[in-house]
Amino acid sequence: MLEIPQELLLLILQIILNFGIGVIVTLSLNLEVGYLGIPQFGRVLTVLIGAVIVGGVIGRIVALYLGYPAGLEYVGYENFKIVSAINSVLAANPLLSISILILTLVLAGLVGGVIGYLTAYPALRLKEAYLGITLLAFGDIAQIIFWNYEPIAGGTVGVNIIDPFRFTGEYRQYVAIGFILFMALLIYIYIERLTNSPFGRALRASRDSETASRVYGKDIVRLRAQTLIIGGAISAIGGALWALYSLSFKAITYTRLLWTFYPWAYMMLGGTGNNLGIVLGVFLFSTLRTLIIMYKDYIPITQYIQPARLEYILVGLTIVLVVLLRPQGILPEKPVRTLPKKRIERLIKRS
Amino acid sequence: MLLKSDIVRLIKVLDLIAKTLAYSSGIAIGAASITLIYSTTRTFNFAHATMVTWGFYIVFTMQSFLGGSPYYYILFAGLFSAFLGVILYLGVNRPLIKAGVGEITLMMSTLGVDLIYFGFLGAYIDYLLTQYKIYATQFYLELYDFIIPVGGAGYRGIGLVAPLVMITVIILLHLFLTRTRIGIAMRASIENPSLAGLLGINTDVIYLLAWVIGGFLAGLSGGLLSLTMAGYDKVGMDYIVTFFTGSIVGGLYSIFGSLLGGLLIGMGEYIGTYLLSLYVGTWITTYRPAIPLAIMVATLLLKPEGLAAINWSRIYSSIKSLLR
Repeated sequence: MLEIPQELLLLILQIILNFGIGVIVTLSLNLEVGYLGIPQFGRVLTVLIGAVIVGGVIGRIVALYLGYPAGLEYVGYENFKIVSAINSVLAANPLLSISILILTLVLAGLVGGVIGYLTAYPALRLKEAYLGITLLAFGDIAQIIFWNYEPIAGGTVGVNIIDPFRFTGEYRQYVAIGFILFMALLIYIYIERLTNSPFGRALRASRDSETASRVYGKDIVRLRAQTLIIGGAISAIGGALWALYSLSFKAITYTRLLWTFYPWAYMMLGGTGNNLGIVLGVFLFSTLRTLIIMYKDYIPITQYIQPARLEYILVGLTIVLVVLLRPQGILPEKPVRTLPKKRIERLIKRS
Repeated sequence: MLLKSDIVRLIKVLDLIAKTLAYSSGIAIGAASITLIYSTTRTFNFAHATMVTWGFYIVFTMQSFLGGSPYYYILFAGLFSAFLGVILYLGVNRPLIKAGVGEITLMMSTLGVDLIYFGFLGAYIDYLLTQYKIYATQFYLELYDFIIPVGGAGYRGIGLVAPLVMITVIILLHLFLTRTRIGIAMRASIENPSLAGLLGINTDVIYLLAWVIGGFLAGLSGGLLSLTMAGYDKVGMDYIVTFFTGSIVGGLYSIFGSLLGGLLIGMGEYIGTYLLSLYVGTWITTYRPAIPLAIMVATLLLKPEGLAAINWSRIYSSIKSLLR
């Protein structure tokens, strides 16, 4: 059997993890930016909410179910003890773990959808830069609140997060990352189907010409609200999965740079409005970012500066170069796939 | 003879006044930069964040190498950020404007430039540490501020200098926009770009000038703010939305509106938090950064035109008729 060095294996796992989470969040961003055409500069909002659901709500539900303190005592000094007690129960109970995992995804999706729906209010009233700044402000406000308000998710102390992958023992990391990748695939298939459906075509139509699609009887308000619900739900699932993997939550780590601007860079590189392009863009970026960290010793200037600085320059340069040289991204948006006319006629005949 | 407790209270009040005035003047100048660049080039300048931070670091490094008061170096902070603005315009903004891209693309491009500037800033911080053993990750320039003695207590110099600088900026901008040929041309191209082009105004020069002045104001605001708060690499990113708020509350198209808006936001942030903390408790102070954001969201949703939409002449005449 081929012997893979431990370090390389960890690196590949890291790339897959960043890729999976990146694909989920960036696909949801692309749905709103590429298809709906709103400047979503507040992607971090729903991602953060998804993580808060895991840290502050799911943990409490499980604690309540298993008979541990779940009120205000859940956060703070007792938190570590409670969570480790829950984890030791979960380690021996795969069925409960899997139900918790499903419950987490459902709840994160629901709440993320509600938050997405609420952001439809400004999205229907404001345009372009104004809307972008407003959404950005929403994300920042949420971060400030969860960073300072302790009762829900621990404030500056943060919370530990229960581990539904614990029952897999030493394979925990592989199973968790594999599950994230699987979810990314499911979401990709769903979004690809959605954007090639009549709904997706209506979205593009309303993006390109609001008046024309109104003339054809499309309800723009409804379309926007629905898209924001879907986008919010998916990104919240991404945030929840990230929190489940990282096993702890601190609001300060959910920055607009990491969870809004980086996904924007991935999207612009891959091709705004092209789901496959998004996957490609995220893959290129997550590999490059991880490689910079891995090969930092071979880059001559890293004895003076931290490799993270190069990462910023790289992401910034990519955004600028894409905007200047290839605004449509690596894989440009393609015309909508519809069934050939003959096949539709055959389908009609058969029915 | 003042009692000890009175002096303590005096110190606190003077400190609050100085900080509020200094902070809001700094924000106002920065907001004017956002507005100037947006109203001429339709670009929401995200690179403003790191251009302000570079202002902090220019003052810091010049002070640590050359010594003396940080005030000597604030102008250099402005000049350096003006230089950053010129690079941004010539390298990115100009070709994009020529290609006629939308507002969102313009905004995203400045974000990319911001990340590049931010990366170089980080490299610079690391370089200072490894080569010169200067710890620049966090610094407090307010320690070098001069103190004006006021009845047993002291008033920070920046509480006087920053408002004075802001007033100077207002006067100079006013003179520039009303008395000089190119200033009038700039106003014309803000009000109606295509008509201005038709009249033979070179919009390219106007845009470049907007980035020079805007960059200068960003660095100036960073230099002034460095004397009121801690400097660190993300300071501009943390306050960028506050600058945007000042600009949006000011109406986004009026430079003087943005100066007023920035002042209001800065004062609202400090005095509002202080007053709230008196009534609801000190826990509110940790939420201080959320106040300008909330004000901005409210402004945008309720009155997107900002302060500029208020009919000042009507208010003025109604006050006049009341006094009569």
